[in-house]
Amino acid sequence: MRISYEWLGDFVDLDGITPKDAADILTRQGVEVESLTMVDLSQIVIGKVLEQVKHPKSRNDLWVHQVDIGSRVQQIIAGAPNAIPGALVPVALPGTTVPNGRLVKDLNIAGYRASGMLCSAAELMLGEDHSGILILDRGTPGQPLSSVIPSQAIMEAEVTSNRPDCMGHLGIARELAAGLDRPLKRDFMPAFTGTAEPPGRDLVNVSIEDPDLCSRYIGGVIKGVKVGRSPDWIQRRLRAAGVRPINNIVDITNYVLLEYAQPLHAFDLEKLEGPAIEVRRAREKERLLGLDGVVRELTPDMLVIADARRPVALAGVIGGEDTAVTNLTKDVLLESATFSGPSVRQTSRALGLRTEASARFERALPPELALAGARRAASLIAELAGGAVHRDWADVYPRPQEPVRVNLRPALIDHVLGTHVPLEESESILRRLNFHVKVMGDGEWDVLPPVFRLDVTIPEDLVEEVGRVYGYDRVPPTLPGRRHETWTPLSPSVDRRLDDVREVLAGAGFTETWNPALVSGARLEELRIAARAMPVSNALSDEMDTLRTSLLPSLVDAVALNRDRGRIDVRVYEIAAAFLARVGEKNAQPEEPLRVAAVISAAASAEAGAETLRALKSVLDGCVAALSAPTCTYQRAAAQLFHPGRCAAVVLDGRQLGYLGELHPTVTAGARLEGRLVAFEIDVEPVLAASRIPRAQPLPRFPAVERDLAVVVEDIVAAGALLLAIKESGGELLEHARAFDEYRGAQVGEGHKSIAFTLTFRSPERTLTDAEVDKVMSEIRRGLEKRHRAGFRE
Amino acid sequence: MSDSDASALTSRALAAIGQAQTEGELGRIEVEYLGRKSGHVSRLLSNIGQLPAAEKAALGKAANETKRFIEAALAARRAELDASRLADLAETEAIDVTFPGPPLGRGHIHVLTQIRRQIETVLESLGYQVELGPEVETEWYNFEALNLTAGHPARESWDSFYFSPDLLLRAHTSPVQIRAMQSIKDPPIYIITPGRVYRRDPPEATRLPYFSQVEGLAVDNGLTVGDMKGTLLYMIQSLYGRERKVRIRPSYFPFTEPSFEFDVSCGICGGVGCKSCRHKGWLEVGGCGMVHPQVLRNGGIDPTQWNGYAWGFGIERMAMLKHDVDDIRLFYEPDLRFLEQF
Repeated sequence: MRISYEWLGDFVDLDGITPKDAADILTRQGVEVESLTMVDLSQIVIGKVLEQVKHPKSRNDLWVHQVDIGSRVQQIIAGAPNAIPGALVPVALPGTTVPNGRLVKDLNIAGYRASGMLCSAAELMLGEDHSGILILDRGTPGQPLSSVIPSQAIMEAEVTSNRPDCMGHLGIARELAAGLDRPLKRDFMPAFTGTAEPPGRDLVNVSIEDPDLCSRYIGGVIKGVKVGRSPDWIQRRLRAAGVRPINNIVDITNYVLLEYAQPLHAFDLEKLEGPAIEVRRAREKERLLGLDGVVRELTPDMLVIADARRPVALAGVIGGEDTAVTNLTKDVLLESATFSGPSVRQTSRALGLRTEASARFERALPPELALAGARRAASLIAELAGGAVHRDWADVYPRPQEPVRVNLRPALIDHVLGTHVPLEESESILRRLNFHVKVMGDGEWDVLPPVFRLDVTIPEDLVEEVGRVYGYDRVPPTLPGRRHETWTPLSPSVDRRLDDVREVLAGAGFTETWNPALVSGARLEELRIAARAMPVSNALSDEMDTLRTSLLPSLVDAVALNRDRGRIDVRVYEIAAAFLARVGEKNAQPEEPLRVAAVISAAASAEAGAETLRALKSVLDGCVAALSAPTCTYQRAAAQLFHPGRCAAVVLDGRQLGYLGELHPTVTAGARLEGRLVAFEIDVEPVLAASRIPRAQPLPRFPAVERDLAVVVEDIVAAGALLLAIKESGGELLEHARAFDEYRGAQVGEGHKSIAFTLTFRSPERTLTDAEVDKVMSEIRRGLEKRHRAGFRE
Repeated sequence: MSDSDASALTSRALAAIGQAQTEGELGRIEVEYLGRKSGHVSRLLSNIGQLPAAEKAALGKAANETKRFIEAALAARRAELDASRLADLAETEAIDVTFPGPPLGRGHIHVLTQIRRQIETVLESLGYQVELGPEVETEWYNFEALNLTAGHPARESWDSFYFSPDLLLRAHTSPVQIRAMQSIKDPPIYIITPGRVYRRDPPEATRLPYFSQVEGLAVDNGLTVGDMKGTLLYMIQSLYGRERKVRIRPSYFPFTEPSFEFDVSCGICGGVGCKSCRHKGWLEVGGCGMVHPQVLRNGGIDPTQWNGYAWGFGIERMAMLKHDVDDIRLFYEPDLRFLEQF
């Protein structure tokens, strides 16, 4: 909301309070002033145009003016034609900086001297209009502009959604008055001045069809108005608040909106059929030509104001062009109503049309405000546009606003704030904010909030009122601490425990990425991993319309992105949840398994892929080991995204965690990547569950014996199976077995391969003899021969 | 063989040792003179068996002396050679120490993970526990339980992604607060709830439809606004340095009463106002407030017996403030050139 500092002076004495002071008080009290723009008009002088001729040489439309600035006559060139002889205009002389920041210089334009600048409203920061020179109503040439237009200070403030009353200058002034402890010079409810006969309610028939959507509708009648320009001060204030002046009637409705925060609308009474006002839902196919010149198709969930025949306004959003006040209007129906916030918001969003009015109704206005706004507007219209205000207006008020009383134990204030606020000060603050405080016999306070503060309903709300005016900077910071009899011992979170994994991965050269969980559903379909995907029903774009079921596509993209930026070897990982819909359970929260996934790039050759796969397996084993979980085993498997011949299921204690392998060539090609990608993706919760605190083992006292064994088997026999067999036959003396080489070729024959193992033997009780080791070795050979038809090479 | 033979042998050996320049030469000299079988000293004694007893003793003594002399001379010369070799190291073994090492190829932990860790560490030191919860939430936990009923004007700020009318991506980690109150049941409750959240805002330099938060919740008896302020100050000073100040400013959230925004004094100008804080002196960090009694009730806590405070802020925002990052999208674009800076 744009606040004019000068306007606030109508309601509260700002003597000695600079705009900056006012902005600080408001911010401290909860109306955050985001920017403060100072417009100094004392450096601009008033000039009177004596002569205006077209610049004879310039190809652009330029006008040469002779301007009387009191002491002398200046020659000034301008591009707008509206500064005709006799006009009073703002003049910025050379050397002056105009409020929009431009420095004026002495210029020579195609042979003509230009000694100064005639200013538009926009250049003076007095409004948006930059189409012509600002023409003044009054003023003496040579005097500073500030003699007729006070210097301005415009505050841009953010008003929270619970405070519709602060969407007007009066509400803002009340905050300042409370903060400064100065009286507010305006009562909330103006007197009613209508006396003309017959009663207004006999001149228009008002009905509300849906009281849920409109809790009050006041239709005031003012006859015989004279539509014309508003006085300068109204126009100036509207401009300062960012509203374009139209005519006096419309300007007054806008003025009151900016003052009281009550949106109003003026109809040309003669153009209303009936004349009747029906507040109802739009009917199918009804349309409305809005004041903005746009025809809109309406739907039955929109609330409209209709006359006897057709909609004439969209309730709380925009008025209709057909019944608008024009220069020919004589009689005015003034609407001041209370529409439901959600309904106005819905309509305004459906039409993509946000107006000053809708912005206020959305916050749920109090119905009592409608009366205050209507009265204020009526008296301004009578004063500035003439006309007779009729007595006893139509006021349909099906749901009168109930006063809410709040009981407050004043000790609560100190208890919540954590500091001592004297009772008198608390009471004074509440009174300054227009709350009525009655002290009861038992010391409790019976508090009646003002009618425009629907947001105050519980004692804590009153504590907040006191606290924010008292000043939270006066509350000393403390740390809570007491003698607790119960507590929860610290246990690291799941994510925190995975920091051990992050360290292993960092050591192995992998960089962590955080990727969006919302991805393209079409891409998941294409990759055939969409079976349990959850689509968002109101996605922002196709690129982010579904929750990912795997972290791997994001990591493939990460490789592609870094390749595009010149990186060849990329190692990335992510730790995050995947989302898997529960099959057959609509409306159930999905499974959110926390996963670790990593991708590493490899060269294009088959060998490079195989070698990288083994390297990545060591990394995965390292991650699992860092969590003190048992070692995983790997089994040949087939899985989406993975190469059919190069994929292993990762198994821990008989439970499958996920997959490790090369990514399918189509996945790699789909991301336009050359070479191979090797990856793993596993669920980590089972690993954490299997984690055990490592127990120290006694250090070996006797030396180990190492033997190598080259095993020749058929190609299809897996190294994992051989290792298993070795371990089974090796018994207690076999401490460790490791495969270190694989060979295919003439020496082992077609369809066969040789795998070399290093076996380590040790006894905890004695130094092993060769004979003992030989015995175990032959057991192992026998086992391999029997189970895998293995041969041996020396 | 006589004493004079022995002394001649000694002076020959000493001369040779004196001229030796390397360890190799000394080794050869050692073998030549002191070799067990054919060394000169051994040969001195070769016919000792045929000598009379008195001569035997004298010769034995002379030979031993000779051996000791030579050994001492060898050791002395070796020490000399060693000393001169070590004295020359600066020339003889010099390398170009400015030549850069090969790349280590270490990976990097994501800057948001690092910030999250730091925040957790600071708050754990005050006795807060980390609590996590689902990212796909029900309408009740995400909104209703937090006084954000349908049609509430404040719902505007929490525009969400829906899967069905009752199921959505959480717009904040506050649902975890409700879940934690329900599961812990008996205060005191001191928790923090880090995690990913989602809002339906189109991506731009300052906001994304997905980001991460850390919220905190304390439920105990007799907690005050001052306690909340102190906790935030402790956290901010621990993360950014003890010269930082915290300001709380009244604001509005339906789930706290009173509600505040909290600001941190600008680290560049120290609070007097500069370009980077838009001349405010303060940087907005997050929201906070005293937990609304109805929210406590929704979490199964009796508000007549307990009260609480809560706060929340974006992890990205904290990272941006700490590391001068000016575009939030960088955190979620896995560009190693960015990620490797931290």
